[in-house]
Amino acid sequence: MTALSSEAAPPPGRTFLSKVADLRAWLFLVILVIFFETWAQTVYGVTFVGNTYNLQSIGIFATAPLLLALGQTFVIISAGIDLSVGFTMGLAAVVSAHMANLGASHLGLPPFLSMLLGIVSGVAVAFVPGLVNGWLIARLRVPPFIGTLGMYGIARGAAYLIAGGMTVPVSNAWFAWIGNGRIAGVPILVIIAAVVVLIMHYMLSQTRFGQHTYAFGASRVAAVRSGINVGKLTMRIYLLAAVCAGLAGALYSGRFAAGAAQAGEPLLLSSIAAVVIGGASLFGGSGNIAGTVAGALVIAVIEYGLVFINVEPFWQFIAVGVVIIISVLVDQSQRKLLGGRVDE
Amino acid sequence: MIQRRSFLGLMGAATAAAGTGSLVLPAAAENKKHTIALVPGLTTDAFYITMHRGADAAAEALGQDLLFQGASEWNVTLQVPVLDAVIARKPDAILIAPTDKVQLVEPLKKANDAGITVVCVDTFIGNGVFQTGAGDADFPISYVASDNVLGGVMAARALAQSIGEKGKVYVSNVKPGVSTTDQREEGFKQEMANHPDIEVLETQFNDDDANKAAAQVQAVIGRVPDLAGVFGANLFSASGTANGVKQAGKQGEVKIAAFDAPQSVVQELKDGTFEIVIAQHPAEIGYFGVVAAYAHLTGNPVPTHIGTGFTVMTKDNIDDPNVSKYLYTG
Repeated sequence: MTALSSEAAPPPGRTFLSKVADLRAWLFLVILVIFFETWAQTVYGVTFVGNTYNLQSIGIFATAPLLLALGQTFVIISAGIDLSVGFTMGLAAVVSAHMANLGASHLGLPPFLSMLLGIVSGVAVAFVPGLVNGWLIARLRVPPFIGTLGMYGIARGAAYLIAGGMTVPVSNAWFAWIGNGRIAGVPILVIIAAVVVLIMHYMLSQTRFGQHTYAFGASRVAAVRSGINVGKLTMRIYLLAAVCAGLAGALYSGRFAAGAAQAGEPLLLSSIAAVVIGGASLFGGSGNIAGTVAGALVIAVIEYGLVFINVEPFWQFIAVGVVIIISVLVDQSQRKLLGGRVDE
Repeated sequence: MIQRRSFLGLMGAATAAAGTGSLVLPAAAENKKHTIALVPGLTTDAFYITMHRGADAAAEALGQDLLFQGASEWNVTLQVPVLDAVIARKPDAILIAPTDKVQLVEPLKKANDAGITVVCVDTFIGNGVFQTGAGDADFPISYVASDNVLGGVMAARALAQSIGEKGKVYVSNVKPGVSTTDQREEGFKQEMANHPDIEVLETQFNDDDANKAAAQVQAVIGRVPDLAGVFGANLFSASGTANGVKQAGKQGEVKIAAFDAPQSVVQELKDGTFEIVIAQHPAEIGYFGVVAAYAHLTGNPVPTHIGTGFTVMTKDNIDDPNVSKYLYTG
């Protein structure tokens, strides 16, 4: 059931091929961009990628699914899945909007501090589903699919209860600036996402936590025998996924000037798709942050690009589905080529 | 009187648990307390929460009991079990927003067969024309709703006026196949056909995802820089589109007509995020749904269709209490 880890030292002679494999999602992205560029040039006589406006728009579009996908990358590498991140994001969005309002109205805080209170509370509340998920999966040995499905419902109910079934408007200039502002033409959302990407990349590739995540996903038994505290590791992995979702939720409230319980619901599947397109195996043991970034961009570029070149809406659903399947097929054949085992 | 009321309350609590409801209470017809159940399309929506408030107001005014039970999302397989549980409590009447025209017919027929009065609110079963003797799905006594096609027409008229009767517009919609939002789009396009200088572009479906609605309008603006307006067929379509327009630096140039009116639209109208908001009157739907059920239960005739209206909100009229009273509240 385990797949060959892309991080494990490949046998000599295969290094080049496996490097190419790591870059697969990026190659895919380049092909897509060339496709849209050609279409836009031929049919409309305009540029697709040479247009700062398009790049900014795609960057903003990709931010929320990417944040969910970054945490999900660790979960999927550990051979788990987190279905609750969408509503954890919604819960965080609602709580951060409420707290930013409360900070201003009840504590008399200036707008900047109210915003900070909102963001910190949003991220903090995400600890609850994260820790509970980790505890269920690590200590009570509930399968991740079931444990996080339960949390999907609980986070959802909690978010709707706190919001009273409505969206929670928040009026805070600083918060709106975080969600919609730009620094030197770069959207602040994109800057925040880039910082999180760097942190995640460092954690996954350079720390013991990251290496243990790979080892655990490749073989639970081997991880336990080699002395890894898998309970603690699992807790941390699900906590990380929830914190990423919490940040995405808080940023949502800033951007749309309102927290909504359903904010992250449609993003769950995109986040999983991004990780898979990025080269991770749902069976664990492989995947990396650069791939996930490319995966999130692939989805954003397709959905944005198809509207840009004016393709009929129903084709857009099909296109995204086809890309996910192609991506996994390519992945499977690469594994064969590299002599690794293929996911059954 | 006080003693009798508390006795009724106790009996109600005790018998409800046994699943027999208050029907067993011997009481004179004219001061009998009926139980009326409201089953919304989904419980987590300001529209239905407001409808519940209207239904509560009518139930209180008439001295009737109101139950409110529904599923958390718009889904037949989730709504039917809730409906079955409500039927098991044997209320005197059920007000329901059916989540499907066809699939809810049989489950509701069970209620009708059990002697429960059925009223459709917001959405309908069959063709929405009731008490005609026409067939299997005409048994509800009345359909109380706003006309979503008309709502789309009103949005189109208001948007056409605010963009000066010319330019390109499109509909940002949730997903195909939802009767109410499909009807709004239909009404919008129908009315826009009467405005020769306005071109309606391809509809964009956003899956109720504000992030996607925002990216879509940015992409459309990228291709069509002179986009004049967008009709957001529901709340997330409109707020997502508004954010995309803001991100594109086109706020004020691209006018947005939004459908549905939670409290937050007051601010959004004032700061220019939305040009126009079409408010339905969900409290009215709930109120008249209960009144229709009560009238029927007490032997009075009831119209088979009760149409509720719309209010067009703009930044100029939103402070008028006659307009702001139509904002959705819990």
